Formats: sequence, structure tokens, C-alpha cells
Amino acid sequence: MSAINPYTLRTLDNGLRIVIEHMPYVRSAAAGFLVLTGARDETRALAGVSHFLEHMMFKGTKKRHWREITLTFDRMGSTYNAYTSEDRTMYYGWVRSADLAKQIELLADMLRSSLPPDELDMERKVILEEIAMSKDNLEHLAFDFLQEKVFAGHPLAWPILGYDETVGSMSRDQMWDYFQRRYTPDNMMLVVAGNVEPGAVVETAEKLCGHWPRSSNGHVRVPPRIHAGVDALKVDRFKQQVVVLTFASIGAADPAAETAAAVATILGGDNSRFFWNIMQTGLSPRAGVAHLGYSDCGLMMLYAACQPEKAEDVVEAMRKEAGRITHDGVLPHEVARVKSRRRTSLAIESEAPYYRLTQLMDDMEYRGSPRTVEQMLADVDAVSAESIRDYLERYPIHVGGHLAGVGPRLWPKGG
Amino acid sequence: MGMTEYVHANLPCGIEYGVQPLPQRHVVTFQLRILSGTAGEPSEKLGLSALIEETLDKGTEKRGGRELSDAFDALGAACRSGTGRETTTFTCTVLPEHFEEAVSLHAEFLRTPTFPDHAVQVAIDLARQEITNLDDDAQGLTDKLISLQAYGPVMGRHILGEHHTLAAITREDIVRHWRSDYHAGRMVVAVAGSVTAGRVEEVFEKYFSGFGSTKSQGRRPTSIEFLPATTHRHKDLEQEQIAVCWPGVDATHADFPVQQVVLGILSGGMSGRLFTEVREKQGLVYWVAAWQDTPRGYGMIFLGASTTPERCDQTYRTLLREVDRLAEDIEPEELERAQTGILASQDTRGDSTRARCGELASDLFYYGRPVSPEEKTRRIQAVTVNDVRRYLAAFPRDRRCVVTVGPKPLGVSDCK
Repeated sequence: MSAINPYTLRTLDNGLRIVIEHMPYVRSAAAGFLVLTGARDETRALAGVSHFLEHMMFKGTKKRHWREITLTFDRMGSTYNAYTSEDRTMYYGWVRSADLAKQIELLADMLRSSLPPDELDMERKVILEEIAMSKDNLEHLAFDFLQEKVFAGHPLAWPILGYDETVGSMSRDQMWDYFQRRYTPDNMMLVVAGNVEPGAVVETAEKLCGHWPRSSNGHVRVPPRIHAGVDALKVDRFKQQVVVLTFASIGAADPAAETAAAVATILGGDNSRFFWNIMQTGLSPRAGVAHLGYSDCGLMMLYAACQPEKAEDVVEAMRKEAGRITHDGVLPHEVARVKSRRRTSLAIESEAPYYRLTQLMDDMEYRGSPRTVEQMLADVDAVSAESIRDYLERYPIHVGGHLAGVGPRLWPKGG
Repeated sequence: MGMTEYVHANLPCGIEYGVQPLPQRHVVTFQLRILSGTAGEPSEKLGLSALIEETLDKGTEKRGGRELSDAFDALGAACRSGTGRETTTFTCTVLPEHFEEAVSLHAEFLRTPTFPDHAVQVAIDLARQEITNLDDDAQGLTDKLISLQAYGPVMGRHILGEHHTLAAITREDIVRHWRSDYHAGRMVVAVAGSVTAGRVEEVFEKYFSGFGSTKSQGRRPTSIEFLPATTHRHKDLEQEQIAVCWPGVDATHADFPVQQVVLGILSGGMSGRLFTEVREKQGLVYWVAAWQDTPRGYGMIFLGASTTPERCDQTYRTLLREVDRLAEDIEPEELERAQTGILASQDTRGDSTRARCGELASDLFYYGRPVSPEEKTRRIQAVTVNDVRRYLAAFPRDRRCVVTVGPKPLGVSDCK
């Protein structure tokens, strides 16, 4: 891990930001375009359009038929894909360093998609299958239900995949309009990590993307109101009950994000309080805590899967642990071990370009600049028993919150 | 760039080990492989191997389970373990300065576990819950059902066991099985990263000297029993899960690289035949894939997809047709593309120390020696179009296992 700043940052005249991390000790390179648009930027009538567009980016451009896009990826032996979240859409490829320029050219071409009309209905079928697959997964179903309730009335309540009826009826014109407004260079970043020559990457990007027109769209994200309450979804075909306690938290850009992550780890990660006091008492085979950081808000989610008849006991045990950490605080060794594990994971992630790519994207989206490994370690070192206490005072998890139950039992409501 | 360097030998204590020193890396990864898995369990005690894996670190002669976990966390060790048909593995990545301490902690729980009663009871209870929960995991359930048909009652066992066999397992069974199978003669260790071979030898000998029998054991394949049939498990789901398999070649067979390339052509990327024909041209599925599974001495080819019930027959027909068509119209360009995909993936993943260790561990298991990327590259590059045609003729899919899980059985039972 070098103390030398390995980053090159540029912004093209049209607003496209470029960040490059030079990793001279590896043989590969990863490149990705981050588009700052996701499910939360949609209307209810167009729920799923960001994800549908992500699929359509692989379906053809003025220059390439869809078949040529996939062939070009595979001729390089690229490890490639794309994903859509609430806040972003990302396209990436991980290749041997020698193929980086070709990889960037292909990704850049894809993002000028022609949205071929004759491919729209075929891809619609694929996405409807993806939605069907998601409904067969209890944890996906529970998470979508939770978001629908906690973010009720806000676009974060829509499922990323959309609904059967919105995906089924979305027109190309509607999709094109969204595409033109959201896939603009001032709303995108090109992120590159690996054994690369930064000057050559900037030159390639300027040539490929420098002429993309800047947008004047004034889309502003509005933070959601996070709802408390109790909701249940009865689904007879599952054997387990998923129970989730959710509380308001900080967003991914907040300086205390490492502290929130530490709370989640101490309470519900490996070797955590949930592991020893809930799973290792036989109450639940899977229980944990996750901090979900969005661009302007966050959730602290305490969850477990259990036998339906144990749901009350599991929720009581989760609440008990939330109360203990709030009232009694954390032990010094609990904080120390979170830091030790984080150090190792940073060392592991700093080895491979794809992992660095995802870290850089997080940093760029939420902080506006990349952090060196040393800076990330400093943020981790700032976590303390006091910072955890302060966080829990500001964002309590021992009272209130939202309780959701999904499974064969109509619980908590009417159970 | 020179040839990749490895050290491979046996320690006096009986452990077989392989090391790939990568001095420029910031971490070390090691994998301890115990040559004992579900295939070696007594038939009335299925689930025993996973219970041992689960309870080994819940207490040692020196400290309790929490203290042991805290000791690992103090090192920042990233650990994971897993039970398989023929092995149980423990993998750990640490910063180089913590290498010895991490090995010593592994030695502590592998050599002196106390298997506390409470931990054993909880592990059994949770395993029984997980068996029930498998019903909620359509893909996991499909894998379980087709494994039983592909490999038969011994090699096709599920790691969790069955409700009635778990009910029959006692703490004494766990202790007995651990005593019988956990010793240095059944251990294979792979290490990659910022450590020298000399240091690996010194540390493992120091902590594992005297760990039971030094006699080499557990290195012979267990026979499989291939049971071709078409079966359906009804479940009220949105989609139908489809799995198909037939025998291929094992990892040491001369045609193994050919098989890798065939799978690359079928499913190596979005331009692969299955993705193109099943998803892109017909929109039948979101996911479709072909893959191989290679217990020692055997190989099995799998096709898998999920789709809504009314499109199940068409999906199934297309899957099989694409395998047949490959023998008829394979193009040199797609052969080359599949080769590039395999080799590029080897290069890019090679930047990860954990991936290097995993590759070395796998080579020791299958080949009994490290196999350099250069050798693997040569073997993949040597595959020709004629090799692919010959392979497909030699390993037809006429006798196959088919499993569907979902609302309706296949309407086409034996299409070719």
C-alpha cells in the first residue's frame, strides 16, 4: 500500500468526470461507466425504466448490432456486466491491461444506444422473467415489501425491477425520453483502475465521449420520509418467516458512515452479538444487521429468517440486543476487531482492479473524490465507542422503527 | 515474465503442501483441506461432516468459541469454511505479519476441539431448520434433487443430511468421526501470497507435528452411481426450474481442456450459444447456464435455466438442441473466443491472492501437483475444432438426468 497518491482526476468540458487509479503491480484493468440514475429517479408509472434501460444498453447502437456488442466483449475475454440500484446504474468490464482501450470504446459506444425498437419486446420478456424469478425468492420479496412500506409515497418505494404492469406497458418513447434526460455526461463518470497509462485513458475518453452533449435537466432528488409502523405480508408458499426491524439512519455520504457500518458489524456481522445470542441459541439460522446507505438517507436493518412460530421470540431477541448496545455501549475489543477486519479487507480489495473500481465508484458518488487506502484506514480508525454512542443517540434503534413480517404467517399484523 | 514458481512437498508431520510465493502482495491466503466429506459419512448419520465443520471452532481445550473468534478477529483474519462431498476446507486471508498466529489458531481448533454439548445441539437444530428452509430456495432444491440422480446415494448426498439422520447424531458420533478423519495424513495445504516456502514449512510443521497419523489417506475417488431419469417436484412457484445433466470427463482426463472449451462456447459469456439462443433470440429466460462439476475421477455436465411454466418445454427443447447443434456447425471463431475467455479470466483473476490460492488448492486436489498457468494455457490453446466434434461424439447426452421443480412437469419427456 503506497502513500503516493495514485489517482488522476479530470473533468471533460461536457461535465464527464474521469477518475483513474494506477495499479502498477497488477496485470489487468477494469473500466466502468457510472450513471447517476436509478429506481429513485423514476415515476410510479415508469417504475423499472432504469433497469430496463440497463438491459437495452446491450441491445444495439448505430455502430453495433446487439450480437456484435456481446461478441466484442467476449473476444477480449472480458469479465463484464451491469447493474441497477436505487441510486445508480453501472456498466463495467475487467480485462487484460492491453485490452483496456478497446473495453472503454465498447462501453462508451453502448451508452449511446439506439434503443432498437425491434429488440424492445424481446427484452421485455426477459425482464418479466426476472421479476417472476424475484418473486420466488423470499428474501427479495421481503426486501421489496419493506422498501414499499418504509419509503411509502417516495420513489425509493418502487422495486428496482419495476412491476409487471409498468414493464409490460413501457413504450420506447417513454424510455427514450428518460434516457436522453439521465444519460448525459454531466450525470456520469468514467472510472478506471489497474495497470494503465492515465494519460492515454484520458485521451481515449476525450476522443470517445468529449462530444456527448451536456444536459440542462434540473432533476433534483428529494430525501424520503422514513415511516415507522407494522406491516405483514402472508405468502403461503414459503416455509420460513422473515422478520425485519428497520430504523432511519445516515446516508452513504455522511462522515459517520464507517461508524454506522461498525454498529451493523458489532451487532449483526460475523462473530457478532446476533451470531452468539440469536443464531447460537437456535432461534434462527440466519440473522444479521445491515446499514443501507443511499445518496441522501439510510436505513439500519435488523433481520432474521426463522420458523414462523418463533417470530415473536426472534423479534424480542433482536430488540433486546438493540437495547443492550444502546444502553451499555460497546466494548473496546469489539471496536478493535471491526478495525482489524476492515484493514485486511482493504488489503484484499486493493489487489484486484475490479474491487478497486467499485470502491472508487462509491467514493466518487458519495464523496466526490477517491480515497487512498491510508485515508480509508484513517476513517476506520476514527470509529470509537464514543462515536458509536453518539450515532445511536442520533439514530436510535432500541425504540420505534418499522417491523415487517413476510412468510406463511400473517404476522405481526393479525397474527 | 518467467515461469510461475511453486514449491510442492510433504512435511515430516504428514501434511502435503504447495506454496506459490508472491512477494509483492500485501496478504497471504492459505487453505487447509481435510480429505473428508459427506461421501465418507455413515449412511445413518448423514450431515455429520457439516456438523463437525460447524462445531470445531465452538470451543477448544484452551478457550471458548467466542474467545477463539475474538482471537481471529484480533488478527483481522478473513476466514471461511465449507463442507463438500470429498473434503472439508478452511480458508484464511491475513496480513503477512499475522500468518503464523492464524495458522496456530487453525491448529488449535482442528487438533483440540471440545465440541461443547450446547454447540452440538444448536448446530443440529439449525441444520434441521435449514433442511426445511431449502424448500424456499427453488434453485437450491433443484441442485439437491439433480445431485442425487447424477451421483447416486453416496456422492449425491446433500451436505445438510436428512431430518432423521440428524436426529440420530450424538456428540459422541461427532467426536468419533473427527478422531478418525482429522489428522495430518488427510491434510493438504495450499498457500499463496507474501510468504516464503521456508516459512510455510516451518510454521505448519511447528503447529501440526504429531497431529495423528502421517499416513497418506483420503486420496482415492469414491464411485458415483449415475441414475438417468426425468423427475418433477411440484411446487407452487412463479417459475419452473430446469436442470439437465449427463456424464463428461474428469479433471485429469486428456479431454478436460476440450470440455472447458465446449462449456465456454455454450455458456462462456453473453455471446455464448445458450445465452444467445435461449435468452437473446427467444426471450425465454433471465438466467441460463452450462457448467461442469468434477468430483475426483468423474465429470458431469449441467445445463440450468428457470422460466415461467408455459415456456418450460420450449426452453428445454432449445437447451438440448443447442448442444446437438454445436457438433454440427461449430465455427473456428467461437472456439477461439471461448479459449480467449478462459485464458483472460485466468489472467485477470490471477491478480487476486485468494484466487491464486484457490487455484493451487484445486490443482493439488485433482492432479496431486501444482499446475502452472503456462501449462494450462498451452492445453487450452491446443484444443481444435476437431477435438470439440470428437468430444461431443464421445460423450453424448442420450442418457441424462432431468429435474424440474415448479408448477408443472415437462410436456416433452425425451426430445432430442
